[in-house]
Amino acid sequence: MSTVHASLPEAGRVRSWIDFYLTSMRTQISSQFQYRAAAYMYLLGMVAEPVIYLVVWTTIAEDSGGTVGGLTTGELAAYYIVWTFVRNMNLVFTPFGWEWRIRDGELSGWLLRPLHPIHYDIAGFAGSKIPWLLFYLPIGVVLTLLFDPTFDVRAAEIAVFAVAIWGAYLIRSFNQGALGLVCFWTTRVSALFSLYIMVELLLSGRLVPMTLMPEWVQTLAWFLPFQWTFFFPIETLVGDYSNTELLRGLGMQVFWILAGIAIFSLVWRHAVRHYTAVNN
Amino acid sequence: MQTLRVALLHLRVGVMTDLQYRVNFALQVLQSLLALATGLVVFSLVYSHTTELNGWSQNELLVVLGVQIVMGGVIRAVVQPNMMRFTEEVRDGKLDHALTKPVDAQMLVSVRQVEVWQAVDLLTGAGVIVVALVRLGGDLGPLDVLGFVTALVVGAVLLYCFWMLLATLAFWIVNMWHLPELFEGVFQTGRWPIGIYPPWLRFSVTFLVPIAFAVTVPAEALTSRLDWETLALAIGFACVFFAFTRWFWRFGLSRYSGASA
Amino acid sequence: MSEPVVHVRDLRKTFDVPEREAGLRHAAKGLVRRTKREVKAVDGISFDVAPGEIVGFLGPNGAGKTTTLKMLSGLLYVTSGEARVLGHVPSKRERDYLRRMALIMGNRNQLQWDLPALDSFELNRSIYRVPRLQFTETRDELIELLDVEDLVRKPVRQLSLGERMKVEIIGSLLHRPQVVFLDEPTIGLDVTMQKRLREFVAAYRQRHEATIMLTSHYMADVEALCERVIVIHHGRILFDGDLAALSETVAAWKTIGVALENGSVGDLSAYGEVIHSDGDLVTLRVPKAETARVTARLLAEQDVLDLNVEDPPIEDVIELVFAREAPE
Repeated sequence: MSTVHASLPEAGRVRSWIDFYLTSMRTQISSQFQYRAAAYMYLLGMVAEPVIYLVVWTTIAEDSGGTVGGLTTGELAAYYIVWTFVRNMNLVFTPFGWEWRIRDGELSGWLLRPLHPIHYDIAGFAGSKIPWLLFYLPIGVVLTLLFDPTFDVRAAEIAVFAVAIWGAYLIRSFNQGALGLVCFWTTRVSALFSLYIMVELLLSGRLVPMTLMPEWVQTLAWFLPFQWTFFFPIETLVGDYSNTELLRGLGMQVFWILAGIAIFSLVWRHAVRHYTAVNN
Repeated sequence: MQTLRVALLHLRVGVMTDLQYRVNFALQVLQSLLALATGLVVFSLVYSHTTELNGWSQNELLVVLGVQIVMGGVIRAVVQPNMMRFTEEVRDGKLDHALTKPVDAQMLVSVRQVEVWQAVDLLTGAGVIVVALVRLGGDLGPLDVLGFVTALVVGAVLLYCFWMLLATLAFWIVNMWHLPELFEGVFQTGRWPIGIYPPWLRFSVTFLVPIAFAVTVPAEALTSRLDWETLALAIGFACVFFAFTRWFWRFGLSRYSGASA
Repeated sequence: MSEPVVHVRDLRKTFDVPEREAGLRHAAKGLVRRTKREVKAVDGISFDVAPGEIVGFLGPNGAGKTTTLKMLSGLLYVTSGEARVLGHVPSKRERDYLRRMALIMGNRNQLQWDLPALDSFELNRSIYRVPRLQFTETRDELIELLDVEDLVRKPVRQLSLGERMKVEIIGSLLHRPQVVFLDEPTIGLDVTMQKRLREFVAAYRQRHEATIMLTSHYMADVEALCERVIVIHHGRILFDGDLAALSETVAAWKTIGVALENGSVGDLSAYGEVIHSDGDLVTLRVPKAETARVTARLLAEQDVLDLNVEDPPIEDVIELVFAREAPE
């Protein structure tokens, strides 16, 4: 028992946790502004992917009389433009980050601290999104002018969208975090990550709106977390969900966040055990 | 030629180093196949909604895919590693090692690094092209093949020049870290017929980032679409681009050496 | 009776190291069956550290010092035996424990690279839940002690190695840990920095009544700071007691390295015990009291090109003093 050793005064747990998040976000914001040229280049480069998809599907739509899979070219444009926004939001700390963290010895430093490094990752990336959104605005405007999307939004949809983008962020954070923990056992996580990205590309709505996928794929996607990171947030704004459907979608996001946390915690326990056996 | 010999020596050392890591080979094959599988799935999805994309049938577009994979492999194996190493050396102030060697700096900086295992994509891409050609069934004359090879070489030169130009910017811009990722994104435009892109994009991926010349034109040669005017344009453009790259390099180098003297 | 801050009983740590011999045939065999060798990094050590003590852990490389510290800080889990610090079991990595201890190792980069150290300090404040007032007090005090006022506003990447180490140390102590583990703190530093660091550690301990354990293979570190020394070798404790007692044995000798002008000049054993001879470089061991006299004689009677007087390395001390107690 440590009754002899007087405890120092301590700040409240919740307050310190919030404090940490705010401080981390603040430092990331200033960091992003410092490197805004690089950030801008990155944001611009990211636009290439959805633009290609958009152009391909628009071509098909135009060849097929104006629609493909029930979507008009205007709706396609809307989908992929909102896609770019959602993409900014769901950028997270990658498994490669975990690889470097372990290799550089930074991990030992975190094991000595009374806070889990995942808080740092989540807070940091969350903070980065604020300057990114600012940088993104002109890009979004230009895309809208170039591709002529058709929008039809209700207030409720916007409200749910604002929440869903953070849900997408958290799902991906924990999923990729768990993948990153594989680095504790092997230095070659890139193949596994490539597989993850491939599956995500096809099953999340990243490649195309899920409605363009074959039926069986759509059914499969329902049981996986991926479509709640791209398709659902985009569709809240672009699609035609009823209020019930919107709420149900949020509920699914919560489910997948909790599942992600559970898996991550489980793997973490084993990862630390493995690491502290040898600690090199 | 002294320069060439030194270059080949560097290359050999690089290859021998990489060959030690056999696990990397297996992993690279895996990744290459995964990427290919993804590409094929996307294709089949697209062609489930249409039979022709801008006049290209599925098998014809497979040729484009194959060429794009081959070019991607060339870039990731020999161009990108050198360019990235160069930009890092400029950033860290370690370029002088390269500059004080008695060979042409641009040549040295362009060939000393290699990632052998990325060359797996050359095989993957070649495989795709072969399969596609078989499925197309048509016969290729020697002129077509000659056109193809010429277009490939010209395309590779153009992509190298593009990368060299970007890398030379490192003399002025410090942070080049995201370059491979960004290029990869734009390079994906090469998988689709450039005719589908809006004019501003078509122009960009032809003359700004020479993807059309590097991917579409060789594919056109194999699918009997290539007219020799396009090929002549490609060759001409490559010569101009190369000269410009060389000039820009020397300009940047003189500024750099002058500045750090 | 106050409880010990650090309580260690029969602590052991064994590593399984895959064995591999050179050659293609062995490499091929290795694919099928990997032979493992057991390395006993720590082989049954026991000691207690009282509150406010400053203990030096002395031993050559590979003796088990760092392994012990890592076990006490929770970075390694124990193979067998008992270890308790501040009443906690370190490998459980309880938050309450982590908030009251610090492990400082050389060239660790925990601070944000691109930001001023001050920003990183703020992050640590919230991680360790240090109340704002106490944080400011401790931070300013540490900055003053290490004299880095003008450095903490610059991005960390712009600092030199020594400057970076100073701000890293501050970052590690902002939460006023009650137990501080220092692993080879002076390694790679120049003589001035080493001295500054030792002064700092002494000052910190005095002001905050912290318990400090430091490892080193430099006798000078231990001499400057510790009242109590534990000598460890091959994972076992060879000596645990007053520095003074050890000093008498260790400081009893000095080594003199001599380079002579005109090649080997025969026998120098008249001056002292020749422990190493390599052409024109000779190493002598002499009793401490005789050092000045022998040096003077050498300089007068021989053609000396270069002459070094040093403390005997810790390995020699252990060999000399504890040879009979060293395990086989």
